[in-house]
Order: sequence, then C-alpha cells, then structure tokens
Amino acid sequence: MCTPSSVEPVETSAFARGAAQVRTGRRTLLRAGGAGLVFSTVAGAPAVAAAGAGTRKRAYVLVVDGCRPDEISPVLTPNLHALREGGLSFPEAASMWVMETIPNHVMMMTGLRPDRTGVPANEIFDRALGEVRTMDRKRDIRTGTVIGRLNRAGLTTGTVLSKEYLYGVFGDRATHRWEPAPVVPVSGHAPDVFTMDAALTMVDELDPHLVFVNLGDIDRFGHADYTGNDVQLARRTALADTDRQAQRFVDLLRSSGRWEQSMLVVLADHSMDWSRPGDVISLQGALDADPLLAGKVAIADNGGADLLYWTGAAAKRDAAVRRMQRIAEATPGVLAAHDRRKAWLRLGPEAGDVVVFCKAGWRFSEPDPTGNPIPGNHGHPATRAIPFFVSGGHPAVPRRTTSSAQARTIDVAPTVASFFGLGKPRGGYDGRARI
Amino acid sequence: MTVAGTADATASQRAAGHRAFRHGVASGDPLPRAVVIWTRVTPTAASTPGSGHGPRVRVHWEVATDERFRHVVRRGSFATGPERDHTVKVDVTGLDPARWYHYRFRWDGHTSRAGRTRTAPAADATPDHLRFGVVSCANLQAGWFSAYRGLAARDDLHAVVHLGDYLYEYGPGQYGYGPDNEDIRKHQPAHEMVSLADYRQRHAQYKTDPDLQDAHAKYPWIVTWDDHEVANDTWKHGAENHTPGHGDGGEGSFKARRARAHRAYDEWMPARLDGSVRIGDGSRLFRRLRFGTLAELSMLDLRTHRSKQVDSPAPPAPWPDGEVSDPTRTITGEQQLDWLEGSLRRHRGVQWKLIGNPVMIAPVNFGDLPDELVNPVNDVTGLLPANGAPYNVDQWDGYTADRRRVFDFIRNHQVKDTVFITGDIHSGWAAELPYDASTYTGQGPSEDETAGVEFVCTSVTSNNLKDITGDPTGATSTAVEETIKANNRHIKYLDFDAHGFSVLDLTPQRAQMDWFIISDRADRDATITWTTSYAAPAGSGRVVSVDHPVGA
Repeated sequence: MCTPSSVEPVETSAFARGAAQVRTGRRTLLRAGGAGLVFSTVAGAPAVAAAGAGTRKRAYVLVVDGCRPDEISPVLTPNLHALREGGLSFPEAASMWVMETIPNHVMMMTGLRPDRTGVPANEIFDRALGEVRTMDRKRDIRTGTVIGRLNRAGLTTGTVLSKEYLYGVFGDRATHRWEPAPVVPVSGHAPDVFTMDAALTMVDELDPHLVFVNLGDIDRFGHADYTGNDVQLARRTALADTDRQAQRFVDLLRSSGRWEQSMLVVLADHSMDWSRPGDVISLQGALDADPLLAGKVAIADNGGADLLYWTGAAAKRDAAVRRMQRIAEATPGVLAAHDRRKAWLRLGPEAGDVVVFCKAGWRFSEPDPTGNPIPGNHGHPATRAIPFFVSGGHPAVPRRTTSSAQARTIDVAPTVASFFGLGKPRGGYDGRARI
Repeated sequence: MTVAGTADATASQRAAGHRAFRHGVASGDPLPRAVVIWTRVTPTAASTPGSGHGPRVRVHWEVATDERFRHVVRRGSFATGPERDHTVKVDVTGLDPARWYHYRFRWDGHTSRAGRTRTAPAADATPDHLRFGVVSCANLQAGWFSAYRGLAARDDLHAVVHLGDYLYEYGPGQYGYGPDNEDIRKHQPAHEMVSLADYRQRHAQYKTDPDLQDAHAKYPWIVTWDDHEVANDTWKHGAENHTPGHGDGGEGSFKARRARAHRAYDEWMPARLDGSVRIGDGSRLFRRLRFGTLAELSMLDLRTHRSKQVDSPAPPAPWPDGEVSDPTRTITGEQQLDWLEGSLRRHRGVQWKLIGNPVMIAPVNFGDLPDELVNPVNDVTGLLPANGAPYNVDQWDGYTADRRRVFDFIRNHQVKDTVFITGDIHSGWAAELPYDASTYTGQGPSEDETAGVEFVCTSVTSNNLKDITGDPTGATSTAVEETIKANNRHIKYLDFDAHGFSVLDLTPQRAQMDWFIISDRADRDATITWTTSYAAPAGSGRVVSVDHPVGA
C-alpha cells in the first residue's frame, strides 16, 4: 500500500535525515538548472563523470510507478509505446511479492529477493520497536546494491526518486541525489514534471553513468482515483503526462548525443487494482476474537497484502500460524494465507509469520474498514504484471524484439551490471541479465 | 540381376514392408529429450486388428538424424502380440531438444515407411516461434480427410494438435454426410463400436486412411479425446449414446465400455497415458508439454471426470444461475482443475499458456436466435436439448462454476497470454474470454475484462450448420453467425459452414490462428484454401483480424 507518509518528527523523516547528512558534511549541496533544483553529492566526489572513468556507456532506469502493461498504448501513451516497440520488450514481465513500491525498487537495485535484501514490503511490524513502520531507512537494505558496485568501480551514479520513502531507503548510496522539491504534502511525492526536471538536469549537468528515476504520478493518481475502475480519469491524465515526461528524457538523450551510448530500462514496480467500495478485508477483529491469538498478532497492512506477526510465546508460533491461516482463509476476499517460512516466498523474517493476499477487486483495511480508504491498490498477485522494456541506442540493446522470458524486477541490477561489465556479487544474483 | 530387376525387387520389398506395417507410423508427445513413436505390425494374414490372432513378434526400431538413416542415434526392439493388438509404442529417450528425427520399424525383413518427428525445445530455450496444426472432429463416414492432406503437405509445422473426436463410434447410416447421413465411406465394423475388438478395428480403419497416415508420418501429434472416442456425450458415469444393461439393446456397463475404448486408444495412439507408453497402466490423459519459455500446452480431458450434462434448459443470461452453475457439478474434476491452475501459474515461466480444450469455454448466448434456427444450431453442436436451450450445456457453458474458478484464478493471479485452442463444435471461432459477458465492452482495460482468448478449429469432416440446414448458399448460417456475434460482443469470428484445419503460430509478439477450409468433403481431391486469420497480441487478451496467414 502506497499510503501517504506518516507524520513523523522532523528529525526522523527521510528528508530530514538527508538534510542532516548535508549539515554534517557527508554530502555536499549543489544547485543546478534554472529552476532551483537541488542535488546532494557525496563529499569529495567529482561533480561530473570523469572522462577517464573508462566508459561512455550510460544506463538509465525509469520506473513508471504502478503502471499496468495494458495501459501502454499508441493512443494514451504513444511515447512509451514507441519505446517499447522499438527495443526489447517482455510481455510476461512480473513484479515480485510483496507487490509494493519499496521492496520492488530495492529488488531492482540489488537483484536479490527480500530474504537477502531484508526489505519484503512497504510496511512491516518492527519487532524491536514494537510498532508498524515504513521501510524507509537506509539500513533497511542489508545488502549491496548495483549503485554501490558501480561507485566502487569508479563510475558515478544518481538517484531521482519522487517518493520520500524511496529517497529514504536508498539514502546516500548514489554519488548524486536529487533533494526532491516540491513535495505534495498529502502523498509525500514530487509530481512527475518536477521529477523529470531533476532527472534532465542531473543527466545534463552531472552526467552519472547510472541514473535511477521514479515517476510516481501514475501510482499516486491510481490510489487517489475514487472513480475506481469505472472511469479512472485522473489516472489516464497521469498516464498521458508521465508519457510526455518520459519523452522529454528521450529527447534529451537524443539531442545531447547520449542516446547512442545509452541503455534505457523502463518498467513498473507493480501493477494496480481497484477495489469495490464494499470489498474490504479487516482481519484484526477476527484474530483478536480468537482465544489463542487475541492481543498477540500485529498486522502490517500493505493494501493487497496483510503481513501477520505472532507476538506471543515462541513455543506457540506453529499453532498460531495455523490458526492465523485458517481464520484468514475463511474470510471473504482472501485469496491465500501462506506460512511465510515457505521457501518459495523468499520474504525473510521481516515479513512476519503469515502472508495474506487478497483477491482481485479487494483490499485490506486494518484494524477496521476505515483504516484504508484508498480504492487503488496493489501488493497482491493480481498486481504482478508490469511493463518492462529495454530501449536506447547502444548496440547492446536489441531492436524491435519481444522476448517470451519472464523478466522480473530483480533483473534490473544484473542487466545494468552486465551492461557495464561488472561481475556478480557474492552469492550471485537472484535475477538475470536481460541483455 | 539387372538394374531394373533390382529396382523391382526394392519396390517389391517396400510394398511388402508397407503390408506388414499397413497402418502406418506415428509419433507424439514430444519432450525436449524424448518422443513417442508408434506403429502396428501385421505378422500374418490372420492377425487382423481386433482379432486376437497372430504370433508374438519382436519389432525393431531405429531413430536417425537423417532421412536416409545413415546417422542412427537410437535403436531397439519391442515385443508385441495379440494381447495389445500387435501395436508398438516406444518412448524414445536420449534425444536432443528442438531437433528433427526420422524413425522406422523393421520386422522379419520388412521395413515400415519412415516417419519424421521433432523434439520440443529445452525447458529454458527461447524459440522465436512455434507452429502447430490444429484439428478436431474427423468422421470417416462423412467424407475424405483432405484436411489431414493439407497438414501433411505443409513443411513448416512443429507438431499437430488433435482436440478430440479422432474417430466416431457410429455404424454405417447412423452419422454421415449431410442431413441424410449419407456414408461417403462406411465404418468398420459395420455397427456401433462397443467391444474392445470393435474399438480396435475402428482405430485400425482410420489408420489406413492415406491422408491421415501421411499427416502422422510427417509430424508428432499431441492428442486428447472428446466424447466420440467412447460414445456421444460421454460423462463420468455414462453417455448419451450408451444403453446400460444386458437386455435387448443393452450395451453393458458403461465403465467397462469406456475402459475398452481407453485401452484401444492407448494401444493405437502415440500418446502417453498416465505419463507412460505402457498399456493398461492408467488412463490419465491430461498432461503438459512445454516448448521452452515460449509456450506450454496443457491438454485437457473433459469427458472422464465430468458430471452429467443438465437436462433442463439454462436461463437466458450469460452467467446463468441454476443447475448449470451448481458448484457441485464439474467438467474437469477437482484434481484436473487443481492441475490446470498449476498450468497457469506464473512461476512456470512460460509466456503462452495454451490449453488444449476439447469443448468451448467462451460463453455463447444463443438466446436471440429465431426459433426455426435453434434446432439446426443445436444439431451442429449435436449437444443441446431438443427444446432449444439457449446454451450448449455440453460445453463449459453447462459447467459455469468450473469456468468461473478458472477465470477467477487468471484474474486473481494476473495471468497473461492464456489461449484456449478448442475443437468439438464443427465451426471456426475466435473469441475473447470475458469475466462478465453481460457488461463486456471490449474497449476497457483488458486486465479487467478478459481472461484470455479462444481459437476454435472447425471439423475435418463432421457435419456443420450448412450440412444440416441443406442451404448451399450459406445464407442461413450467415444470419445465425451475425445474430450470435451481435449477442456476444466478445466473439469476433464465427464460421458455421466450413471444414478444414487450422494453423496456430506463436511468437513472443502474438499468437495467430489461420483457418484453412476444404471445398467438399465428398471430393477426395477437394481443394484447400485459406479463409481467415486472427491474432492475439502478447499481453492483450484480445483478438484482432489479420490479413494473411503465416508463411504467406
């Protein structure tokens, strides 16, 4: 669930932590472009990619947050459609569970599943804190990223992330980081037009070898679109606008001569589903009504997925897991309730004890039906399909090719690494290079 | 010996070989490293199919990478005899993926004709395309198998998929050509097949058809049965064309009859039942065949496990309540439905989820047809109650709870690129598969509207609407087709009048079905022409018209 960022004390918000990094001298502020854009750079890093860095290759990863593959069309998104048709596309591409923004962006930049990254969902129950929180802290990612590996190889990197929690979880890993502004107060994200202004300026003036961009409007307007699956007017507007922003990016690459050296990966982090007004699932009440479970289950609501955490005695965990599964699966709208320890889930202990997915057209709302009023929704298997295509003018990028392979969000890091000739991290990637 | 004499001797040997292996050769169920090869040997004049006579013999087989058999890569021998009607079925293993092979059999100095077959691509291969012939409903009494001739004449297929009604149970005069059931050729034995000997003889008769033999020899086949391999309108415990009991006209136990039919099928078809080529070790026919990451074909058995067809008409709505929606009724059986869901799961890593589907799954509302046309339409399908119910209750329309479960699974797991390829209904169709036919627009987001697409091949020979109405102009059929399309916005193409075959071509970009039709079933030299093509672009769940067939 891409809920608006919770109100936090200033010193604990992601943006506040970023400001602290500047204050303490770990990052240096740069003002660039004519619109007062602000970037921070690792202290001591070159302002511009050094000509002697060894390669003229450039890789750009553009995330059209929450876009469904069937929304890319010649009429509504002609520029994205042309990019898809002209490059290497993967019609079977999939997000990975939990189909949320933070874990899938982390999977993109690590190439690893959540049992290795430590980031299985947007919202988790933090057992140490004893509360549900957003995974927006740099230390939440407990493995290396392709950003770091490129940095260590002497290349430069940049992040242009429109959402505060993405800004937070990737922290100061990149050589250059956009300090988002303005940010929409309710949604906690920067509109795509400003995000793209920042991306263009970063490419034009700082020219990192890798730039990772999140365009959040499609997702945000999907969540906020109360016309739901009938009209989706706001979302269509967002799709058309994001399409224009993507074209601005391509135009810059072409006009600046970078296109021929570039690989442009365009994908979504997850798809989007819309729940009907009455199709809401609240498990908290049923769990609290059970003698074994009462008061001993915490729930992290992720929109299309509830993560259930047993907080009682460890000796009773197995019985509690079975009870939670049974109660959840008896609840209308629940698709499945999995024991998180099942190997195929690969979600890691941060995801709790039971992972509950809803059916298409439903959403979770905890602790009661008022908890999540947002109709647009993802996190469940009905939101797995994503657009995923590789474009750009570099000779390594196939032209007008469609692949039957099931590309996944975890494939981005190995693809970028392969493009730059980097080897594999310790333990290998979970994803595959797609070029 | 003169050169001419040598040639004569060679020709004589070839003829003798063809007499010994007079039912031809076949192959099927290709896997990346294995394929089934089949033949039947006739060691003595008395060893006729179904006779139970003749000696046990050992037949030698060999598989080569070249058609002159200079590079034999696998060989062996196989013991057969009257207990299995002298059929030979070998699962040849140790082959290379995505490769053409040639095979033949030898017995007592006689050599069969050579067959050609092809293994499937490796599980993780990414083939740029796959091409299948698609056929169903071949009634020998209704005409010549020109459709099979058309498939055999092509050189661009990877396999042939047969969706059922490979043969028919009827005796002469019971089901033939046109409204008067004229027999273009007469079935053997000359009565409805009921005994094991009957089923064996009927299989043997079909396998003497030269067009069918050529099509079998040219490509591996992937087959499933529909009802007529046993008896019309088969269900779990009976069939419309089965009279239980042992009194006058009684045909005995249905289960015993079906077991005999399945045994003959196991003996005579190049398929793995219950995953093996052993005879009599099981009759599970639903199975998967994978073709790299591009496609996986899940062949269904929609007869052995299904509940009885409803007797009462369904109400006139696309998603009717009532008996057809009773969740305790099933067309697949629970085990097969679980298995089908497994076929659709994303973790299998396959783009095109092909479902070999003996009867249509797209909802079809016949409700607004003129009364005088309801019965002829029913006769084409051969499956509707005489009172003209608005649904074909022998199809998935008669088992809507199972269909709802399949479609819900697709939607809940956002399964893309599901293609049902279907036979049974003696007509060609291209349809989208609506989650809700009553509100279907075909214009909204496809993931909210459609579970996939369905391509239906027409019959090789079995009667269709024109054959039954006797309207040679086809005007009646055209009226019916337009009415059905108007009442079913998800149906994009419908041809009630043609016979022939289809070709399904898959690429990562799209799945395309081409329909080829024959001129007249009664004409042994019928011409074959392309009539139309439709494609499902990848990820779309939609069908669009295409202006030329593949390879043209």
